Amino acid sequence: MKKFIKWIASGWMLILFFVGFFLFWEYSIPLFDIPRYILPSPSEIVLKGSADLDKLIYYTGVTALETVLGYIIALILGVGFGIAISFSSILRRTLYPFFVSIEMTPKIAFAPLFISWFGFGLMPKVIIVVLVCFFPIVLNAILAFNSLSNELTLFYQSTGASRLKTFFTIRLPAALPQCFVGFKYAAINATVGATIAEFIGSDKGLGFYISIVTGNMRPDLAFAGIFFLTVLGLTVFGFVTMMEKILIPWHISMKRINK
Amino acid sequence: MKNFIEVTELKKVFGDGEDEVHAFGPATININAGEFVSILGPSGCGKSTLMLMVAGLLDSTSGKVEFENKLVNGPKTDIGIMFQDNTLVPWRTVKGNIELQLELRGLNLKDYQEQINNILKSVNLDDFADRYPNELSGGMQQRAAFCQAMIHDPKIILLDEPLGKLDAMTREKIRADFQKLWMVKKPTVIFVTHSIEEAVQLSNRVILITPRPGKIDREINIDLPYPRDLKIKRSPKFTEYVNSIQEVFHKYGVI
Ligand SMILES: Nc1ncnc2c1ncn2[C@@H]1O[C@H](COP(=O)(O)OP(=O)(O)OP(=O)(O)O)[C@@H](O)[C@H]1O
Ligand SMILES: [Mg+2]
Repeated sequence: MKKFIKWIASGWMLILFFVGFFLFWEYSIPLFDIPRYILPSPSEIVLKGSADLDKLIYYTGVTALETVLGYIIALILGVGFGIAISFSSILRRTLYPFFVSIEMTPKIAFAPLFISWFGFGLMPKVIIVVLVCFFPIVLNAILAFNSLSNELTLFYQSTGASRLKTFFTIRLPAALPQCFVGFKYAAINATVGATIAEFIGSDKGLGFYISIVTGNMRPDLAFAGIFFLTVLGLTVFGFVTMMEKILIPWHISMKRINK
Repeated sequence: MKNFIEVTELKKVFGDGEDEVHAFGPATININAGEFVSILGPSGCGKSTLMLMVAGLLDSTSGKVEFENKLVNGPKTDIGIMFQDNTLVPWRTVKGNIELQLELRGLNLKDYQEQINNILKSVNLDDFADRYPNELSGGMQQRAAFCQAMIHDPKIILLDEPLGKLDAMTREKIRADFQKLWMVKKPTVIFVTHSIEEAVQLSNRVILITPRPGKIDREINIDLPYPRDLKIKRSPKFTEYVNSIQEVFHKYGVI
């Protein structure tokens, strides 16, 4: 309870800002005579959106599945390749520059191709999410596993510990903070990837919903869809941030003290 | 008779071409088992470089290091080494960091709990066993790193300015404790330091290194009885040793 009060106390400016923002939005619509098919008011979005609630919830589930599935696959692949590249000099000279150069291409540009190859189903969306999430994860993982301090490297060498043991007791925990930089960046990208994939070709999901209702001149419903997307994005990001707090509490507290 | 540690014409050059830095040597050093040898020299003369080569953690450019006639050609693991920058990991407490040494060596943590408590007490860190390194001062971190380097009771100890960040009083206490430990267990110690007084107080022999590229200027046997307590530190002979070393470095213009 105390914590909650403290939280409110520290966040009151932000809360005030949001309240002000929505009030301004609500009352500037009649004030400036903005037609509802251009920009609906927040109250109308809530009203019309709740009539479509069943659909919105179902579509949120669809998009969430694509997002989470793609994110998890990207996580496994990204960390796996990251470790492999960090520990193999051959891969570091071949795969690593390859990944770096692909990183420059906007992955989302592949989306129409994947849709045409794999159709309208779940798979092409998952592949696109994997594609947009994989690179930040793998590149940060490579950075993470290569940045162990010289002293620590020498230290474990002087103990004669096996590679496997040093990996789990030193290299992995030392790499986690930098890995999470990639995980969080990818978590932001994940919903974006899923949404755009749905824009391009699908018959369900929030991206599909938003593009259909926009075509039908229903910006109120589009905003309702955007709201659900935001909640989904925040949930994914919040979950990753929570994992960071659980897995590397020492890193969080270190940052706090350094401030 | 061969010596316990033989460093022969050891030399290190970093980089090549224009970036070449001649960091150390060539120098020859012999050390007996159970001897306490200090390495004294100005900053940048290659003391840390020498220590890493002796530990087999850095390849030499030429020359060799031998322990009991056995050539060092990879990391030596039967040692306790404390680096100039501490090797505490931020995700473990002070105690956890000490245990890290034991875990990496596959030793049983249960057998060492008492030793851990004792060594923490001896450096006045017993109240901080469960704190994380970032909650400690620089000097406290250094003391924790000292414990980490010593907990497995090594017979060969390499220390790179282990007490450099400590206040005068704590430093005095740890010196005394370390001397006691050395007198009992007689490990072979190579001790890198910037403090002339510390070198004279602790060592059988002090090796003076010239400015970079470090070569051996001279070796001075410190012929004073142990334990070297306050009385000995105040003796004219002690002061004489300190003064003669100061003169050498004065000659090089580093003091
Ligand atoms: N990895 C490295 N690459 C290139 N040059 C290096 C490297 N390590 C040390 N040097 C150089 O070698 C020289 C000796 O360095 P070293 O760290 O051994 O000195 P030191 O005597 O320990 O100094 P200090 O007392 O300041 O710790 C320095 O000039 C340094 O710049
Ligand atoms: Mg040094």
